[in-house]
Amino acid sequence: MKAALKTGSAGEPARTLAVWCPGWPEEDTGSAEARAFGQVVTVVEDFCPEVEVLRPGLCLLGARGPARYFGGEDALAQKVAGAVAARGFTCHTGVAGGQFAACLAARAACPGSSGRPGEPGEPGEPGGSGASSVVVPPGGNRQFLAAYPMHVLAGPALASQLARLGIKTLGDFAALPARDVASRFGAEGTAAQRVARGQEPRRLAAATPRADLSAALEFDPPVHAEPAAFAAKGLAEQLLAGLAARGLSCVRVRVEVTGADGRESTRLWRHDGLLSALAVAQRVRWQLDGWHPAQAGRDSGPADEGSGGITMLRLVPDQLVPDEGRQLGLWGDDLVSGRVERAAVRLQAMLGHESVAHPLLAGGRGPSEQVVLVPFGDVRDARFPADRPWPARVPPPAPATVYPVPLAARVIDAAGAPVTVTGRAVVSAPPDALMAGDSPWLAITAWAGPWPVTERWWDERNATRRARFQLVTEDGIAWLAALERGRWQIEARYD
Amino acid sequence: MREKISQVMGIFEELPGDAAPVGDVVAAGNAVSTKATEHRRVDGFPRAAGVFRGAGFSKDAVVAGDAVLPVLPALAELLPAGGLARGSVVAVDRSGLLCLALVAAASAAGAWCGVAGIPDLGVAAAAATGAEPARLLLVARPGPSWPQVVASMLEACEVVVVRPPARPSAQIRRRLEGVLRRGGGVLVAAGEWEGAPVRLRVDRRAWAGIGDGYGSLRACRAEVVAEGRGAVARPRRRWLWLPAPDGTVAPDETAAAGRAGFPGGVAAAAKASLRAAR
Repeated sequence: MKAALKTGSAGEPARTLAVWCPGWPEEDTGSAEARAFGQVVTVVEDFCPEVEVLRPGLCLLGARGPARYFGGEDALAQKVAGAVAARGFTCHTGVAGGQFAACLAARAACPGSSGRPGEPGEPGEPGGSGASSVVVPPGGNRQFLAAYPMHVLAGPALASQLARLGIKTLGDFAALPARDVASRFGAEGTAAQRVARGQEPRRLAAATPRADLSAALEFDPPVHAEPAAFAAKGLAEQLLAGLAARGLSCVRVRVEVTGADGRESTRLWRHDGLLSALAVAQRVRWQLDGWHPAQAGRDSGPADEGSGGITMLRLVPDQLVPDEGRQLGLWGDDLVSGRVERAAVRLQAMLGHESVAHPLLAGGRGPSEQVVLVPFGDVRDARFPADRPWPARVPPPAPATVYPVPLAARVIDAAGAPVTVTGRAVVSAPPDALMAGDSPWLAITAWAGPWPVTERWWDERNATRRARFQLVTEDGIAWLAALERGRWQIEARYD
Repeated sequence: MREKISQVMGIFEELPGDAAPVGDVVAAGNAVSTKATEHRRVDGFPRAAGVFRGAGFSKDAVVAGDAVLPVLPALAELLPAGGLARGSVVAVDRSGLLCLALVAAASAAGAWCGVAGIPDLGVAAAAATGAEPARLLLVARPGPSWPQVVASMLEACEVVVVRPPARPSAQIRRRLEGVLRRGGGVLVAAGEWEGAPVRLRVDRRAWAGIGDGYGSLRACRAEVVAEGRGAVARPRRRWLWLPAPDGTVAPDETAAAGRAGFPGGVAAAAKASLRAAR
C-alpha cells in the first residue's frame, strides 16, 4: 500500500488502469457503434466514477483508490475485465504506472495480441495466462517497456531514425543519456525518452462522461394524456432513484412527449432536487394539457386514440449537479414568494419553460450583452459578472429599448451615399439620415462616434469588429447604431 | 450639470409637507384617490417621496392595503392619484423609458413587476431608474393568449406592463379591467388602451451631451403630458430628465424655474439654434 501511495518509484506516474476492448472503430467517434462504447464505460464507472475515454474501445481510470477498495490491483483488474465481459464485450485490462504503460499492459493481456501494425511483437510478459489482465508492479514500468520495439512509442520518423542508429527497443532508447537525446532529438525526443523510461509527462485528465440517466416509457397502443400522466409518476420515481444512486441531482427535468401522429413536445421544468415523483408527474400533466389545448377526441373514448394519442414519454435530467442537499432559508426564501412562483410555473405550463424569464444584469460592452434572461426557476448565474470594468462599453445612460435581434438599418450622408468607416475609424461623411427597419427616413440632428470595438478576436466564431454610433433623429429619439462589415444595424433605442 | 441633478435630488430628500406635489391634485373625489389622500396625511409627506429615499430598506413599503403604489417623485405630479392607483390602467404612448420609470419606485419598494409582450425591454435602463431586476418577470412573447398571460401575472405581480400585440378589443379590456379591480393590481399599457383614466406621452425631447460628431448621449430633457379623464381632463405638462445622466428619472427644475434653457450646456444650445436657423 505504501508503494501505491507514493506515486511509484523513480518518478513513475500514478497507477492507471486501462480497459481495452479490441475491435471498436478507432477513428470515427461519431458513429453509433462508437457511441455504444458508452455501455462499457457505464460498467467501468461502477468501479470508479472518473473514467477517461481515450477513444472508442479504450478507456482509463486512476487505479489507486479503486484498488484499495477492491482488494488490490490484481483483483481490480480482473473484476473490471470480468464485469465488462459479462456484458458480452471482449475486454482486457492492464494496470501500470501511467497511461502509456497501462495501455500496453492491457494489450499484453490479449492472448492473441495481433492485428494492428502498432501491436507489440513480443510482449515483455508472457500475458495474462488465461485471465485477461496484466498488472505491472510499481516500479516495474521501465523493465516492462524495455522489450517493446521503438515504433510503439515514437512517430515513424523518429523510430526509423533510431533504428538506423541501432536503437531498436524502448530499453535501448531509455538507456541513452538524457542530455544527448535532448541535444539530438529536441523536445520531442526528450518526451519520448521520458515515456520510454516509464515516466510520463501528461497527467490523467478525468472527466465525468455523460451517462444516460433518462427514463422513458413507450405506450402501445397510444394512450391519452390522463394515463400518460399517471405513468409519469412511476417514470419519475425511476429517474430520481437513478440520480440518487449516483449522488446526483438535476436542476431541470426535460419532459419529451411523442404523439402517435408524429408531433413532439419538449419542455424543461425546474427541479433543483426538490420535486417529488408526484410533482414531476404533475408537471407532465400540465405539459400534456398545454399540448392538447382542444383535442376534439379527447373525451370520446379510445376510438380515436390513434390520432391524439401519446406513444412515448421520456424524462431526461438536465444540468446534473452533485446532490448536496438544499438548505432553505430560516425565514423562508424571500426573494421569490410562493405566489410569484405559482404564477410563473403556471405561465411556464402555458408557454414553455424558457418563455418566462427572470432577468439578471451581466457584464458586457453592448447593451444586449448586459442582461441575461434566465428562464424562471433556473440557476441565476451570469457568465460575465456585471461588476467588472468593461473598457469601451457604451457609456451610460442605458437605452430603454434593446433589440434582441439588431434591426437592419441604412444611414446616408448629405449626398445620399451610404456612410462608411475606414479601418482607422474615420467616417466617410457626417451621417445625415437614418432608416431603421421599416420606418421612414429620419433626418439626423446630432451624432457621435465612431467608437470602434474589436471583441474576442481570438475566437473565430464569436469575434466581432464593429464601429458604434449614437444618432439622434429629428423626432427626438436617439439610436445606438453599429456598422459591422459595411452593414448598419440598430442595436438599441433611447426612447 | 451634475450639480444641477444633485440639487434636484436634494430637494426630494428633504421634501417638506407643503411642497408635496400631490396635495392639490386629488380634487377629483373618486374613492381611490381620497383614500390615498388620507394615507398621505397620516404620513405627513407623500408616499412616493418616502419610497424614493428608502429604495433599499423598506420591504413593506408596498402594503397590500395601500390604495396607491408609489412612483418616482418626478412622475407623482403627473398622476392624479400621486402614484399608481390600484385597480387602474395607465397608458403610455411610445416611450420605453417612461414605462420603466412608472414601475421603478414600486419595484424598488418590494413589488413584483411583470412585463408581457416587450421582447426589447432594456433591463439595464430599468435597473438604472431604480427597478429591481430580481423582481421582474418577463414574458417576451405571450402570443395570442396575452390576456390570459396578463391575468396570470396580475395574480402575482402588483404591476404589469404590457404591450398588446394588437389593439385590444372592448371585451378583452373589460375582462382585464375586471381582474384589476378584483386583484388590486396596476396595468401599464405600452400603447393604445381606450378608456384608460390616465395617458402619458412624451411631447418633446432634447438630448444633451451629443453634438455633430462629438460627445455622447448624457441626458434627455422631455416634456411629458398626462391626459385622460377626471383630474387630468385638463392635460398636465411637466419637464423631466428622461433620463438624467445617472439613468434615473427626475424633474427638470430648469424648466420649473422658468429658465427655458437647453440642458446640454451652451454647446448644445448653440447647436440647436444653428439647426433651427438652417
